[in-house]
Amino acid sequence: MAHRDVAGAAPGTIATRPPTARAGLAAPATIKSWITTVDHKRIGILYGVTAFAFFLIGGIEALLIRLQLARPLNTVMSAETFNSLFTMHGTTMVFLAIMPLNSVFFNYLVPLMIGARDVAFPRLNALSYWIFLFGGLFLNASFLVGTPPNAGWFGYANLTTRQFSPGPEIDFWMLSLQVLGASSIMAGVNFIVTILNMRAPGMTLMRMPLFVWMTLVTQFLIVLAFPPVTVALIYLMFDRFFGTHFFDVAAGGDLHLWQHLFWIFGHPEVYILILPAFGIVSEVLPTFSRKPLFGAQIMIYSGILIGFFGFSVWSHHMFAAGMGPVADAFFSIATMIIAIPTGVKIFNWLATMWGGTLRPTVPFHFAAGLVGLFTIGGLSGVMHASPPVDLQQTDSYFVVAHFHYVLIGGSLFGILAGATYWWPKITGRLLDERLGRLGFWIIFAGFNLTFFPQHYLGAIGMPRRIYTYNPGPGWGFWNFWSTVGAFAIAFGVFLFAVNALLSLRYGAPAGADPWDGRTLEWRTSSPPPPHDFDEIPPVYGRDSFWREKYGDDRGRKPAPLPAAPDPHGVHLPSPSHWPIVVALGLLVAAAGALTSLALVLIGAAVLVAGAFAFALEHHRTPAHVRQDGVLGVDHRKLAMWIFLGSECFLFGTLIATYLAYKGRSVVGPHPHEILNLPITTLSTFDLLMSSLLMVLALAAVQRGDRFQSRLWLGGTALFGLIFLGFQAYEFTTFVHEGLTLQTNLFGSTFFVLTGFHGGHVTLGVLWLLTLLVLDLRGRLGVQDALKVEVAGLYWHFVDVVWIAIFTLVYLLP
Amino acid sequence: MSTPSTAREHPTTGEQRPEHASIRTYLIVAGILSAVTALEFGVIYVRRLAPVLIPLLLVLSAGKFALVVMFFMHLRYDSRVLTFLFVAPLVLATLLAIAVMTLTGEFLVFGR
Repeated sequence: MAHRDVAGAAPGTIATRPPTARAGLAAPATIKSWITTVDHKRIGILYGVTAFAFFLIGGIEALLIRLQLARPLNTVMSAETFNSLFTMHGTTMVFLAIMPLNSVFFNYLVPLMIGARDVAFPRLNALSYWIFLFGGLFLNASFLVGTPPNAGWFGYANLTTRQFSPGPEIDFWMLSLQVLGASSIMAGVNFIVTILNMRAPGMTLMRMPLFVWMTLVTQFLIVLAFPPVTVALIYLMFDRFFGTHFFDVAAGGDLHLWQHLFWIFGHPEVYILILPAFGIVSEVLPTFSRKPLFGAQIMIYSGILIGFFGFSVWSHHMFAAGMGPVADAFFSIATMIIAIPTGVKIFNWLATMWGGTLRPTVPFHFAAGLVGLFTIGGLSGVMHASPPVDLQQTDSYFVVAHFHYVLIGGSLFGILAGATYWWPKITGRLLDERLGRLGFWIIFAGFNLTFFPQHYLGAIGMPRRIYTYNPGPGWGFWNFWSTVGAFAIAFGVFLFAVNALLSLRYGAPAGADPWDGRTLEWRTSSPPPPHDFDEIPPVYGRDSFWREKYGDDRGRKPAPLPAAPDPHGVHLPSPSHWPIVVALGLLVAAAGALTSLALVLIGAAVLVAGAFAFALEHHRTPAHVRQDGVLGVDHRKLAMWIFLGSECFLFGTLIATYLAYKGRSVVGPHPHEILNLPITTLSTFDLLMSSLLMVLALAAVQRGDRFQSRLWLGGTALFGLIFLGFQAYEFTTFVHEGLTLQTNLFGSTFFVLTGFHGGHVTLGVLWLLTLLVLDLRGRLGVQDALKVEVAGLYWHFVDVVWIAIFTLVYLLP
Repeated sequence: MSTPSTAREHPTTGEQRPEHASIRTYLIVAGILSAVTALEFGVIYVRRLAPVLIPLLLVLSAGKFALVVMFFMHLRYDSRVLTFLFVAPLVLATLLAIAVMTLTGEFLVFGR
C-alpha cells in the first residue's frame, strides 16, 4: 500500500485529529483531491453519491413503467420504449444501484470494523470506483444516442444476437457489463485480501463482525461468479462483432448455454445483493436490542453455506427451458436446501430481538422491516423451487412480486438500515428521527401496496414484460394501486434524501458512539480521522468495543490490552491520478468498439500506458517492500492467488464450452482433420520449460545474482514469445486450411479458447519484459523478489491452463 | 547454481516451512514434466491403450498440473490458506464445467 506520513506526525508517533464533522474528508477538499483520492472513506462516499444518483435514475424508470401499466390500454409510451425501460431498470438497479450501494459500506466500514487504516490496495480501490462510474455512464449514454438496451437484464441469446437485435442497443449493454464486471472483480480481490490479511491483532476470523463476514462471502461470490458471465458476454460480443456461432442454432449452437452461463452468475448475484444486507441487519439488531447477536457462529456458517449453495441452484431459473426431470429434480432439491441456512438467519434475528431492550430507531425499523419482508420473498422463493409450481408462475407477475420482496424488502431495506445506522459515523451528524420514521412507514406501506398485489396479478395470469393489457382480465384495479404504491415509495425516498440534506446542514453532532455500538468503528471519532485510528484498537473478543465498555455477560471488564504494535507508525496512502487514467482508457476503448477501431486503439494505448504508470508508481517506495499481513503472506501474493482462483472459473467456462460444442459443427473442418499434434507438443514443451526458467529467475533474484536473474527472466520471456510464435503459426495454417472464427462451431470455440490463453501469455511476456528492463536498469533487487514471485505465479498458472488445454483440446480423441 | 532451500517461520504457528524447493528439485520436476509430455504424445498412438486412453490422459495431465502448482508455484511450501484459496475455486470450477457440459451440447446425458 502506498503511504505518506500524516501531516505533522513524526515517524513512529501517533497523529491525533480532532473529531470534527469534516475530519473524514481530509482537507483540502478540492476537486483534484477527490479525483486522486485513494482514501477508503472518500471512495465509499463517492460510491454512495454515484450509486444514489443511479438509484434515482432506475427509480424514475420504474415509475414510468408503473405509469404505463396503471390502467388498461394505456398510451404513455410505446412497446419499444417499455422494453428499454424494463431492461435499463433491471440492469441499473442490479449493477449500478444495489451492488455499489453495498460497496459504500464495504469501503467505508470494513477497514474500520477490522481495525485497519485502509484497504490492502488503495489505488486499486480507486480504480474499481472509476471503472464503475465510467461503466455506468457508458450504459446510460445509450439514452443520449437514442438506443438504450431493450432485451431484458438477462439478455437471453439469441434475442440479443445481431440477427434479432441489429442496432447498437445490445452493444451498449454487453460492453458496459464487461466494464462493470472488471470493476467488481478488482474490488472483490481487494476486500478479500483486506479482510483476511489486515485484521487488527486479536481479531480472529470468528471474532469478526457479521457484516465483515458477509462482505467476505460476498466478495468470494463476486470473484467466482463474474467470470462465467464475462465469458458469456465475450461469446455474445464475438457473435455480434466477428460472426462466430456460439448462439447460432443453425450452426449447432445451443441457446441453453447462454442461460446456464448467465444464471451461474445470476443466482450467486442474488446473494451478492442480499448477503451484505444480512450483515447490516446483524449489526443493527443487536445494537438496538442491547443484546449480542443470537448464535453468531451459526449465522456465520449459514452465510457461508448460502454462498456455497448459491453456486448449485442456478438452473431453477430455467425450469421452463426444458432441462429434463433429473436436472429439474437436482436443482429443485438444492434450492429447497438453501432455504435452511436462510431460515436460520431469520430465526436468529428474531431470537436476538426476543427479550432485548428494544430501541425503535429508524435503522431498527428498516432492519425489522427486512426480517418480515424478506421472509415473504423467501417463502415465495421456496414455492418457485418446485418445478410444477414454478411452471405456472414463470414469466408472470408473481415472479416480479417475489424478487422485489427479496431485493427491495431485503437488499434495499438492509441498505437503508445501514445508511441510517452509519450516517452519524460517516458525517458526524444525526438524522432527524421523526422524519426518518415517517419516511420508513411511507416506504414500507408503499412497497407493500406496490408489490403484494402483484402476487395476485401473477396468480390470475398477468404476464411479465407486457407493455399494455386489455380491460377484460380484470388486471386494471390492482395495477392502479400498484402504481400508487410505487409513487409512495418515491415519496419516501424523497423524504430520506431531504432528511440527509437537512442533517448535513443542521443535524445535531453525533459524537463517536451515538448508538452505544458494539463494534470497532464506534471506537473512533465521527467521522473518523484520515488514519481511522490513532492507535490500532485492542480486540477483546466478539463485540470488542461493547466488552471494553461493559464487560462480559456478568459485567466483568477485560484487563486493558496494550496498544497493538504499529512499527511503521501512521501512514496514509498517497493520492494518485493513475486510477482515473486507466479507467478512462477502458471507457474510450469501449466507446471505440461502437464507433471506430482508431478509438479502440487510442483507448487501449491509454489503458496500457496508464497501467504501466500505475504499476511502477511506487516501485521503489520503501513502504511497498513488504506488505505482510496477519496470515503471514504478502498482500500482493494473496491477491494473486485469489485472482487465479477467479481465473479457474474463466478458463473452466471456456474449456467447458469447447467440450460441450465438440462434434456439433455442421460443417468441417473438424478437430481431427486439422490439429497438428507434433507441433503443439513442441509448443507445450516450450511453455513447460519456460516455467522452469521462471523459478530459476526467482531464485536468482532472491539470491541477488544479477547475471542469472537477467538471463532467466529474459529466457522465460523468450520462451513465451516462442510459444506465441507457435500459436501464430498454428492459427495462420488453420486459416489457410479453411478454418476461421466464422467457419463453424469448432473454429469459434477453438480460436476463442486458445486465443484467450494466448492473450494471457502475451500479458505475461509483457510483465516479464518489464521486470527484465527494471533489472537491466538496476532497479530490481533482492527486496523486489516478491514482485518476481507474483509475476511467476501468473506465468505458471498460464502454464497449467495450457496443460489442461493440451490434453482436453488436442489429445483427447 | 545449486541453492539450498531457505526456511521461514510462520508468524502465528511458528511452523518451520522451507520457502521454496532447491534448484535440483526444480530440475527434477522439469524432467518429469518433459517425460510425461512425451508420454502423453506417445500413448495416443498405442492402439492397445485405446480403451483406457481418456482416463490415462486425464491422470497424466492432472499429474503435470499438480507438479507445477506444488513445486513451481510453491504451494507445497507455502501457507495452506493459499492452497485453499486456489484449490477450492479450482474444484468448484471443475464441477461447474462438468455440469455445463452435462446440461448442454454433446455431453447431454439426462435427456430433455
